[in-house]
Amino acid sequence: MDTNQYIPYQVRIADIIDEAPLVRTYRLEFTDPTANFTFKAGQFAEYGVFGEGESTFCIASSPTREGYLECTFRSSGRVTKALANCEINDIIGLRGPFGKAFPIEEWYGKDIVFITGGIGLPPLRCVIWNVLDQREKFGKVSIYYGARTVADLVYKEELDNWKKRDDVDLFLTVDPGGETKDWKDNVGFVPTIIEQNLPSSTNAIAIVAGPPILIKMSMPILAKCGFANDKIFTTLENRMKCGVGKCGHCTVGKTYVCKDGPVFTYEEVLQMPQEY
Amino acid sequence: MELKLLSTSDIAVFVDGLLKAGKVVVAPVLKQSGKVFFKPVQSFAEVATDYIQTAFSAKEVVFPKVEELFTYQHNEDGSLDIKDQLDRIPETVVWGLRPCDAAGFDYLNQFFLKENPDVYFKARYDKTTLVTVSCSKCDESCFCTSVDSHPGDTKGSDILLTAMDGKCYVEVITDNGLALINSAKELFTSTDTLSKEAFLAKPATHFSMDEIKDKIQYAYASAEWKHASMGCYSCGACAFACPTCTCFDIQDEGTQDHGKRVRCWDACGMSQFTKHASGHNPRNTQTERRRQRLMHKFKYSVENLGVVSCVGCGRCIRVCPSHLNIFENILSVMN
Amino acid sequence: MQDKAAELLKNGTVNLLIGFSEDLGKRPVPCFIETAEEANILVFNQECKNNLSVYLHKKEVKDAVKIGLVSNIATLRSVMQLLSENQLWSLTITYLTVNTAGALVVLSSAEELEAYVQANFPTCRAEDKEMLDKLNAMTRAERWAYWKDQLSECVKCYACRAVCPMCYCTVCTTECNQPQWIKTSAETSGNFEYHTMRAMHLGGRCINCGECGRICPAGIPVHLLTAQMNLEIEQEFGGKTGWSLKSEYAMNSFKPGDKENFIK
Repeated sequence: MDTNQYIPYQVRIADIIDEAPLVRTYRLEFTDPTANFTFKAGQFAEYGVFGEGESTFCIASSPTREGYLECTFRSSGRVTKALANCEINDIIGLRGPFGKAFPIEEWYGKDIVFITGGIGLPPLRCVIWNVLDQREKFGKVSIYYGARTVADLVYKEELDNWKKRDDVDLFLTVDPGGETKDWKDNVGFVPTIIEQNLPSSTNAIAIVAGPPILIKMSMPILAKCGFANDKIFTTLENRMKCGVGKCGHCTVGKTYVCKDGPVFTYEEVLQMPQEY
Repeated sequence: MELKLLSTSDIAVFVDGLLKAGKVVVAPVLKQSGKVFFKPVQSFAEVATDYIQTAFSAKEVVFPKVEELFTYQHNEDGSLDIKDQLDRIPETVVWGLRPCDAAGFDYLNQFFLKENPDVYFKARYDKTTLVTVSCSKCDESCFCTSVDSHPGDTKGSDILLTAMDGKCYVEVITDNGLALINSAKELFTSTDTLSKEAFLAKPATHFSMDEIKDKIQYAYASAEWKHASMGCYSCGACAFACPTCTCFDIQDEGTQDHGKRVRCWDACGMSQFTKHASGHNPRNTQTERRRQRLMHKFKYSVENLGVVSCVGCGRCIRVCPSHLNIFENILSVMN
Repeated sequence: MQDKAAELLKNGTVNLLIGFSEDLGKRPVPCFIETAEEANILVFNQECKNNLSVYLHKKEVKDAVKIGLVSNIATLRSVMQLLSENQLWSLTITYLTVNTAGALVVLSSAEELEAYVQANFPTCRAEDKEMLDKLNAMTRAERWAYWKDQLSECVKCYACRAVCPMCYCTVCTTECNQPQWIKTSAETSGNFEYHTMRAMHLGGRCINCGECGRICPAGIPVHLLTAQMNLEIEQEFGGKTGWSLKSEYAMNSFKPGDKENFIK
């Protein structure tokens, strides 16, 4: 009997964290204890408020942490606004997991470079948690992250924890003009900070996610450092509805971002029609 | 495959018999507007026979224009009752398809079931028997012979009828078809010679699939797309009339307390189809949208499923308010 | 007409000419030509019914600025209405039409257009009048049943909206989801919502070209809804659509003498 991929799981909001203006993280627990929901870092889900619709976000937690999953979203449209109005113990719908995951097993022993900005950190946090929870399996871990202002940085408490670790190089920055009086870290756009702290491409993988402009500016720097296009990974966003490669909204050429992605190497992205 | 004969005067007896047995029969019906649509009928007398093609395809039988995915109802403890209606689909016979339409069902079957099987489509398709009638007439919008088909093609059909003088060839292609014939065995006689060529229409051939295979890879970058899409009004008429277009939207209808989630037809030609919540629209012009439609039909479905998803029925040309011509456009962007 | 079109394109009066050509089925279809050499594909006859003024909203047409528009009388009335709604300010348009005597008429300014339209103002088409009379003679219950039957066929392809020159909103009411004013799915009550909303938005603006009903792929005579709306507005408040360069839009103007017969 085939699974009905349109019927959602029911998940309870166990915790709400206000990350930044209009940005929230929800910790979700399945109401059905027999729900055998397993996922891999990089996969996404459709989160739904019944009566309003569904919205697509990555699963921002890692499968290494059991019993719950987390999503982080910005309130921008009808569904995300309705989601933002939910309270602890409310039940929402969840469909998934969908899409292809990051091939983390292929990265054992390698250095991992994360480059992201603003609301691009949630899709990468699942990988960061996954890597840090198995720290001994990987080489150097570098994270380049920035936002427009200090208030816009997400996962502020975790950023503090990562900074304190001596096995993670965190390069944190805010855009010029976005710093507060007591800001002690970098000031400058993320690509500028990467230029000042070039990562080595030897035995390394780079993962870039976030605003298109960030991706556009980071790629030449990575190329300069010697990263081949198939060693750079990204996660694409496109308008999605079904999540299973049927409704047609997310197609880029022959590729369905939902089922053939959302994780792609930069080489695969370059081969697509540039319509995303 | 079995070959039988049915006298023309017995067609009504056969179809009325199916209705009496409790099957839903969907057949072409002539409406007041002069257009023919596939509708459920109560007797063979309602069925239209003298027309070239219906306005819309019969895909509604397996992919309705509005399909309820589930209903939801909040309980006092905050949890929800979620129910679907997959067990309430009736046995349906689609009567009077054209071979191009049947090829369309074949494509739908592959699209919906090959990967990530769609349970809603499967529930309906499994209960549907397709009875096709060969074409004795065609018009200038028909181009099935350009897409590897022809007016007497059996692809996708359970039964194919070809009308001659006073009787029809009945090609019984599948077990489903055989079961239908066996329900009225006495009406059919056996034969072993099939000679239907003389009774089939001869539509013009504009290109071949080999030509498509060779040249479609160059089409994306063609400068001709702007010209090919200038007349496009950005509506959904072509997609909704098309037997193989499958794009849909998912909408919740109701309140946060109770209601239903439905899926409904959508079209890549509409301006908001790819628009993000941020306002960014990857296909912002009609040129890009029309290019997407044609490239999907002739290249991307081939790359994903191995088949071209156009069956040459010509409906898109007929329903388009400016009669944009898909095969003329494809030829111009490939060359 | 072909000669004139070629001349206008050659001497630069027009960068893009929108007219009709014949397709494989010998049907007149909209065509877009940019050079004098292409002018020989142009045709014009009674079958040229598409209201080409709708293309004046298209970005590619707006970019060309100097436009030639092959027009029947309905198209010219649409342009009058659009001019009165200040929608064509960025374009310089030359109109080519054929009068009742079969002669080519070239109109090069808004004033010339207004004079021609007022001198050749059409009456309601006979077949539409017949249908409207029939509908108005029905009881409310009969009329409701008629439209329920018709609108159950609607598939919400929005072809009616797409071909209408007056439907030029960049974000249509149907495309708004905060709130979702009109359901997207094509079931009968949602179809009613859409078509009545559209008739309301076109009340006092529609010039009754009838294209929406003619091209509906489901064969629904939706043009009758807007035609009836406009008849009532004309009867209640006076004024003709597509008549003058100055807009007197009934739905957003108030005169102390306005009758309020509809309040019962």
